[in-house]
Amino acid sequence: MIRMVALRLALMLPILLGVSIIAFVLMRALPGDFAQASAGTSTISAEALDTIRRSLGLDLPVWQQYLRWLLAALGGDLGTSFTLRKPVLGELLPRLAVTGELTLIAGLMAMLLGVATGLASARLRGAVDWAVRAWNSLLLAVPNFVIATLIVLLFGLYFPSVGIFNYVPFAADPLANVASLLLPALSLALTVSVTISENTRAAVLEVASQDYVMVAKAKGLRARSILANYLVRNALTPVITVTGLQLAALLGGSILIETIFTIPGMGQFLFDSIASRDYPSIQGIVLLAATIVLLMNVIVDIAYARVDARVRYD
Amino acid sequence: MTEPKRPRSHGQILLAVGLTMLALLVLLVLFGPLIAPYGAAKTSPASLAGPSAAHWLGTDSIGRDVLSRLIVGGRGTLIITFTAVAAALAAGLILGLASGYIGGRTDLVIMRLLDVIFAFPVFLLAIAVVAALGPTLRNLILTIAIVYTPTLARVVRGPVLSVKRWDHVEAARSVGIGEFTIAVRHVLPLVISPVLVQTSLTLANTIFTVTALSFLGLGPPPPDPNWGSMLAEARQFMELAPLTVIGPAAAIVFASLTFVVLANGLRDVLDVAGR
Amino acid sequence: MTAPLLEVRNLTAHFARDAAARRVVDGISFHIDPGEAVGFVGESGSGKSVTARAIMRLAPEGSPVRWGGTVRFRGEELLTLDAAAMGDIRGRHIAMVFQDPMSSLNPVMSVGAQIDDILMRHTGLSRRAARRRTIELLDLVGIREPAQRADDHPHQFSGGMRQRVLIAIAVSCQPALLIADEPTTALDVTVQAQILRLLMRLRRELGMALMLITHDFGVIAGMVERVYVMNGGAIVETGPTDALFAAPQHEYTRALLAAVPRIEPGG
Repeated sequence: MIRMVALRLALMLPILLGVSIIAFVLMRALPGDFAQASAGTSTISAEALDTIRRSLGLDLPVWQQYLRWLLAALGGDLGTSFTLRKPVLGELLPRLAVTGELTLIAGLMAMLLGVATGLASARLRGAVDWAVRAWNSLLLAVPNFVIATLIVLLFGLYFPSVGIFNYVPFAADPLANVASLLLPALSLALTVSVTISENTRAAVLEVASQDYVMVAKAKGLRARSILANYLVRNALTPVITVTGLQLAALLGGSILIETIFTIPGMGQFLFDSIASRDYPSIQGIVLLAATIVLLMNVIVDIAYARVDARVRYD
Repeated sequence: MTEPKRPRSHGQILLAVGLTMLALLVLLVLFGPLIAPYGAAKTSPASLAGPSAAHWLGTDSIGRDVLSRLIVGGRGTLIITFTAVAAALAAGLILGLASGYIGGRTDLVIMRLLDVIFAFPVFLLAIAVVAALGPTLRNLILTIAIVYTPTLARVVRGPVLSVKRWDHVEAARSVGIGEFTIAVRHVLPLVISPVLVQTSLTLANTIFTVTALSFLGLGPPPPDPNWGSMLAEARQFMELAPLTVIGPAAAIVFASLTFVVLANGLRDVLDVAGR
Repeated sequence: MTAPLLEVRNLTAHFARDAAARRVVDGISFHIDPGEAVGFVGESGSGKSVTARAIMRLAPEGSPVRWGGTVRFRGEELLTLDAAAMGDIRGRHIAMVFQDPMSSLNPVMSVGAQIDDILMRHTGLSRRAARRRTIELLDLVGIREPAQRADDHPHQFSGGMRQRVLIAIAVSCQPALLIADEPTTALDVTVQAQILRLLMRLRRELGMALMLITHDFGVIAGMVERVYVMNGGAIVETGPTDALFAAPQHEYTRALLAAVPRIEPGG
């Protein structure tokens, strides 16, 4: 078990290294001068620029620059934001918490909706199955930012009294905070629920044809107990895995959704950073998000392997 | 016994619907500017006007005809989408085939490199690349090609791994056919079904990415209209002229739905296992 | 003469999916008396398993089966019984042991919990009382350290041990009729005899009737009093076991008997 975790993490390292190279190269490939961008103005003396260059290590060979940057990043130093003039990491973490909460609520919503529709589709078949599959196809075609915009339009037209742009910080009022994230989370969740729904349907159909379900019927167990203990519990394993792997989609989606609903998370930070050409911040966000997604995939992998050993015993 | 007449399958119907929708989109690309009643940038004094005989979908905040902008903007969106996916498909085919067919160290290197791209949330990577390179048409296409290449390469590589061990490959080799010819003529055609399905899904995803980037202001630079930027611009006044929002929203959904339906139809007809 | 425990008349079965389906069971009649052990022998596809499942009204998921004729259990018609009442009979009065112990246990539940749930369904025992009974049952079917093993999951058991667990499930509510559908086919030869001996012992101790289904005449010798030989969905021959072994009348029976490797069961 420990060996397997170590192996998975070791396999992750070269990818992480590649990710860091991309994050580094992207920001060094910028049109224009990094030092000039850092100064935030184009009217600056040559001497001043040189000073900035030296202080940022831009006079060194590129590979040394990369190493310096990487070592600093490993130590938690993601550089200093051009616009905020503060360490990027310190700005990033509280925003990450907001995005994390939004992602979590959206993930739960997607799972609830996906499992419910997938289960109904697999168990009831017929017209319900057809309706769920049509609904899923449609949802797949509606991008989350379109859903979000339409929700905003809907509330603007018909329920203008509901303040949907009023983000409440968690510390101020936890309940109001969660409530203020419900609509944004819903716009994120709908698309992701499709994958979960399709996987639930397939898993339930697969499990229902297993011998142990026949045994459960032969025991005379009630339908409800067969559904809960035999069908859902077995089908849930692949479904949870799929949900974990949707994290990337949720994180990516939150960029748009936070911008639309003005939620002060990582997505909005990225959007602002791009608008103000705050490259260290962009770099930090990209690196952090990719690391989280990689770690999450490893966790899902390990969790699945553990469950798999239990499920596929032959 | 006579064979009972087989009814049209679910997949065939989907495929027919999808192809019809695709034909509409292609017509839009080919003849967009000819169909559009007004120029995309042509303004009229009536801004944020409701639907009328002159402006079927009304006008936007500076008096431009929404329908015309939808048609012209759709052309731009779709050209980017088709070009980018064609590039991703070409790259995916080459890399996936090379990786799966040659195997060994080549496979390892290619797949690890693609894994790195795969590690990024697609949309985040797209934003980062466009932000770094600058939002020009060429960069947009390049970015989208890069982010979707790994998916397509994987879909090619998987079946190649098994098909290359089939007897007909050995037979071809035994009569002296070159490896390149075998890979392209005897292996590639057998793995094309899942690739078609994935390409169709990638087209749907690309519609999303292109319009989403434009929505964030990272699309092709103005004044070219684009469904994503139209949606973003319209948000400010949407309570006054809902059609300026609903128009581009519906267009985006129609285009993605085309490829989703097409993918489902292809999957059924070509009997490709689920994702 | 006592009334039969189970009386089947003109039973037919066909898969509901295709309308012009051939009947997999084609109008068979038989009976089983209380406490009696009866064998059903035939090759795969002869309809014997479908017959067993018809008594329990079980059909594989996604391929519904249509049944015809009558199946009377203690005089009560089962084929037209409503679903809830049928659920009260399944596992409580008629129980079944299936062919493949590897796939017949729920992989995500402990084996103990899989015996608890049938006990709680039919006997009204509390969870704790059910667990005590579960441990007794595991002991009864010959699982060592039953109190500890009850918390283990199926993958921690061998095939033979799993079949013992499934037998414990089947006999947990002391059914009047135990149907064993090829209970040893999926097991190693050495384990087969142990499982058959266990079934014999439980039948004796609990006074159950046994319907033993197999393709192998070797399995039923010394196990059952009467035999029905099935072929193509019909019963082609029936009689007391000894008489059938001594003087098979039907050509098909003779062919099956000729195929038996000489293994003495129960020895």
